[in-house]
Amino acid sequence: MDPRTTLLDCLRETIHLTGTKKGCDHGQCGACTVHINGRRVNSCLTFAAMHQADEITTIEGLGEPGRLHPMQAAFVEHDGYQCGYYTSGQIMSAVALLKEPCGPSDMDVKEYLGGNICRCGAYPNIVAAVQAVRRHSLL
Amino acid sequence: MAVDTGNNTLIGKPQSRIDGPVKVSGQARYTSDYSFSGMLYAVPVGATIARGKLLSLDTKAAEAMPGVRAVFHGGNIGKLYRASFLMADLVLLDEKRPPLADNDINYFGQYIAVAVAETFEQATAAADAVEARYAAERPVMNFDLLRGTELKQSDHRGDAVKALAGSPVKVDEVYSTPVQTHNAIELHATVAVWEGGNCTLYDTVQGVGNHQLVMTQRLGIEREQMRVITRYLGSGFGGKISAWGHCCLAAAAARNLDRPVKLVLSRRQAFESAGHRPATQQRVQLGASAEVKLVSLQHDYVNTTAMVEDFTEYCAEASPFLYSTANMSSSSALARRTIGAATSMRGPGAVPGSFALESAMDELAYQLRVDPVALRHRNEPALDESMGIPFSSRHLTEALNAGAERFGWSQRTPEVGSMKRDGLTLGWGVAVAAWGAGRFASSATVDLRADGTARVSCGTQDIGTGTYTVLAQLVGERLGIAMDRVEVAIGDSNLPAGPLSGGSLVTSSLVPAISRALDEASQRLVTAASLLPDSRWSKARPEDLEVVKGRLGLKANPSGPALSFSEVLQQTGVRSLTGTGLSDGTILEKPKLSKHCFSAQFAEVTWQPEIARLRVSRVVTVIDSGRIINPKAGRNQIVGAVVMGVGMALFEGTEYDPRKGVALNSNLADYVMTTHADTPDIDVIFLDCPDFEVNELGAKGIGEIGMAGVAGAIANAAYHATGIRVRELPIRIEALLKRNQTGRELKKEPWQTHPTTKTKPQPHRANDSPDAPS
Amino acid sequence: MRAFTFKQVARQEEALLLSDAHAGASPGEVRFIAGGTTLVDLMKLNVERPSVVIDINRLPLDKIETTPDGGVRIGALVRNGDCAHHPLLQSRYPALSQALLSGASAQLRNMATTGGNLLQRTRCTYFRDTVWTCNKRVPGSGCSAIGGANRMLAILGASEHCIATNPSDMNVALTALEATVHLQGKEGERSVAIDEFFHRPGTTPHIENVLRPGELITAVSLPAPAPGSRSLYLKLRDRATYEFALASAAVVLTAASGRITHVRLALGGVGTVPWRAHEAEAALLGKGPSPEIFRRAAEAVLQHARPQSENGFKVELARRCITHALTTAVAGGGEQYGS
Repeated sequence: MDPRTTLLDCLRETIHLTGTKKGCDHGQCGACTVHINGRRVNSCLTFAAMHQADEITTIEGLGEPGRLHPMQAAFVEHDGYQCGYYTSGQIMSAVALLKEPCGPSDMDVKEYLGGNICRCGAYPNIVAAVQAVRRHSLL
Repeated sequence: MAVDTGNNTLIGKPQSRIDGPVKVSGQARYTSDYSFSGMLYAVPVGATIARGKLLSLDTKAAEAMPGVRAVFHGGNIGKLYRASFLMADLVLLDEKRPPLADNDINYFGQYIAVAVAETFEQATAAADAVEARYAAERPVMNFDLLRGTELKQSDHRGDAVKALAGSPVKVDEVYSTPVQTHNAIELHATVAVWEGGNCTLYDTVQGVGNHQLVMTQRLGIEREQMRVITRYLGSGFGGKISAWGHCCLAAAAARNLDRPVKLVLSRRQAFESAGHRPATQQRVQLGASAEVKLVSLQHDYVNTTAMVEDFTEYCAEASPFLYSTANMSSSSALARRTIGAATSMRGPGAVPGSFALESAMDELAYQLRVDPVALRHRNEPALDESMGIPFSSRHLTEALNAGAERFGWSQRTPEVGSMKRDGLTLGWGVAVAAWGAGRFASSATVDLRADGTARVSCGTQDIGTGTYTVLAQLVGERLGIAMDRVEVAIGDSNLPAGPLSGGSLVTSSLVPAISRALDEASQRLVTAASLLPDSRWSKARPEDLEVVKGRLGLKANPSGPALSFSEVLQQTGVRSLTGTGLSDGTILEKPKLSKHCFSAQFAEVTWQPEIARLRVSRVVTVIDSGRIINPKAGRNQIVGAVVMGVGMALFEGTEYDPRKGVALNSNLADYVMTTHADTPDIDVIFLDCPDFEVNELGAKGIGEIGMAGVAGAIANAAYHATGIRVRELPIRIEALLKRNQTGRELKKEPWQTHPTTKTKPQPHRANDSPDAPS
Repeated sequence: MRAFTFKQVARQEEALLLSDAHAGASPGEVRFIAGGTTLVDLMKLNVERPSVVIDINRLPLDKIETTPDGGVRIGALVRNGDCAHHPLLQSRYPALSQALLSGASAQLRNMATTGGNLLQRTRCTYFRDTVWTCNKRVPGSGCSAIGGANRMLAILGASEHCIATNPSDMNVALTALEATVHLQGKEGERSVAIDEFFHRPGTTPHIENVLRPGELITAVSLPAPAPGSRSLYLKLRDRATYEFALASAAVVLTAASGRITHVRLALGGVGTVPWRAHEAEAALLGKGPSPEIFRRAAEAVLQHARPQSENGFKVELARRCITHALTTAVAGGGEQYGS
């Protein structure tokens, strides 16, 4: 492994897990969000070589058509995307958010998802999807 | 045949996207997700001057680096041709000059070479190692566009100048919008694969057919040798219509090395060499009578364009017909600047144009002391006064009324800063806009299959607007089958030529093509009846049979016995039958009716002068754009357009340093776009008035009209809240700090009497590049 | 990106030895990597070009502990997100928590570390783009920001060689909270007051702090909060989140019997370093809180402002930021995300 290879490029070009996307390559859009040991990070700003012993979860690890993760299903239900390119990052952030000390309001969710840019502007539907999952998990 | 819209189960009903599950699970394959055995990575090298000559390139060090397979430049890449750009070819291409064509440098980042290596890291390092020598000239970068520019008249009626002079109330102001960059989150990418003389391009494009045509011309091959695939596109907003230079570099590199090549532009490169909305400066002059009637409207503008490419941002497109006035004129010009080629960006012309015209209308309303909604009502035209023809469908009055009602506009007090809520000052503003409606020429096929499924094929693409789903709705509705029984094949230039995803025209173009394909398939099903074993069907005259909701029945007995299409095919031993539909475009036709969509935007801002914080809190957007096929995706698209409009109003603008002509904020941290947290409450109202002059379902486009008017409404709201009329977008804190917290003009700052830090020009030492400007 | 050798270390001594082995190398040749959010970003831009990168993420520097004097010690590898959400820090040092939460995004905060944040490099465009001259990147090459696009840049503490802003929010809060930075070098440990940690650019803008080659930041400690004090962080910027400050203020304040008995004020977004507003503090101390006193305090610090061609508005913005932060602190308020 070339030490220069970021975790993002390793996932996409070496392991061919292409669900994680590159949108800016500088930690400015959130499309590359994955979980490392259960915490969300920007995979474009860390070298793959730094994570040999870490557990890395990508969008492919959440669910697939036919057995979607509740957050993935909520994004479909609430139309929480348009082009879908940034969607993996939004969902990885949203799933991580469920375990973070995020307040209950829509404004809290908007702040916690602030690091995931959606140029299509599907933001309200994304927030609706996240809130639906949170409400359901409270029941 | 018009669909009976009363009994629809799919059309006009909110539908989840059929491609949703693959999108949310990372399985939808976008261009840069493709990899092939033996694939190389290409990274372009951009010029580090904005104007001048490339004197020499030194690629030796780069070529000697590990994993590097080649560094291509003008001297060794092989022939790349200029593409034709005659309207007759319907080729859309905003940078006609092929990359590496000569040694003239016309903008910063213009490609001068491309490095190709075994890995992305190696190719990136090699691209960085290419050394160039230039003879640099001073970039042409000022954005005071109207000054000294000669404008050419494009529209006029009456005598606008004379009428203005005689008007008791006048507005004469200049409005500016900056260069804006599309910034679809998906980076531009091309994966090029050659087999024999045939080239397949997996590419990020808004028109697979257009791209196929352009790229065959660029590469000098025949159409059947070129296939373009865009199964999923990470949106485009106009930025992925043109085949930009990097597509040629990837295709040529793959051809030369006989290996697949992947090229993904960096975000910075996309700012420099893959299009943008040009900067505009617009002068709007309005004259009105004391009776609140417009008597003169002039809209004159200049937009930036590249040194060797022409692009007009038609800012005054709607001005001749948006309002009733006897005297009107508009004129325009291009201002050549040393920046890359401009291109269409969401609502080209209409979006910056509406900002200017609607800001001026708001200024006029204040001068006339009349409500801004009432001013627009007073000047609503009975017909399109620019061509003297009726509108096919125009419901702007209803749109304004519906929006005002939902927004609570009647509670508005017009005095600046007069409205408060929870300790915040509120500002309310309104703006309207128009966008053309029509169709691209399109074709499509529909296959009916014995297993009860159908397949629809069309060489169009889904850029995030929901085209996959709309096609499944159109076909499922007519055949009476669920959407999951419809296979949708798009995003491939081998499929029947479909519409380009641009101009908000895809859905309106597809409706008639699909309808005719289904007509033909139905007719063939009727013909197939003669082969059925049951004599009731085989002996029936074809003209006595009909196909309704995918079922073959007798016209005379609509509620009688019927066979589903799958039963017909099974009983006749046919696997599938195909219908093809063609529909014509409207782009070149001389209109008998004026066809447009309209919007009315109402915005609320909150203003906290104590910390100079302006936020958009609420937008009500009313869309008059015919029938909405999928309100779920449609509403989402309008919301997204508003979100982008918020960015345009408050945040966005590509900034250049005139000394080098380089974009300074060519990344997603410094080019500020709307985040989740900046998104206001957005209330979308679709008037849902079908326009059957556009197609049989009355559907028109929504992507652009949703954004037009938003920035104007916000700017007008900002004035209402702050008393500061910002005529130059984006509305930034510095503009709002011109008054103190109680609204008075600020006195001179203490620091303004100090000498500032020395600003004598620093010497530009050629430490790391030989391109120091003169 | 330049090719480099990658090393991982598990113990502090190993890290110091490794960096010492390259002691003769030119500055920037050897870099420790923790969160990577600055370093990887700048390596991709060829602004940072180390030949050796030492991964220190496995060092045991990730604890938050109380100290005998009633303060707290935050390990250099504590992630910004963990620091922000730590109950003790949230309750006793809200300005720090708010400053951290107002910065970057949740993902970046999960990566970025306390030590790394102290070393965050400027966002000055001319520093980040190698086509420009920059005295910080290439000493003596000239400052392109002066006379360029300098809207985001400093109005306090600049020199004719550099006007770059320190972009950190955390550092502003740490400055108001009078933090101490703990360092470990091959000669041993030392501690530096945060006010003395950062160097103003002067004639050597490339030297940004007191760190010696090969030295590691091991922790940051905070003294016990002043009795009865409140603290908060207020950040002003163009958009609502995920953006660097145009102006920000961290305030620590105690008011008793109608008088300000203790106050610390630091500014962000306006200085070449996190800006401790000593003159403002002096103007406030012992006074009864009032809009007029707050304005005077703001003037006391902003009289030194030397704006550039595009950032004159920051003087007025900082004035409003300071007065609003003080007003809010006295009223006992504060915004949840510091913005």
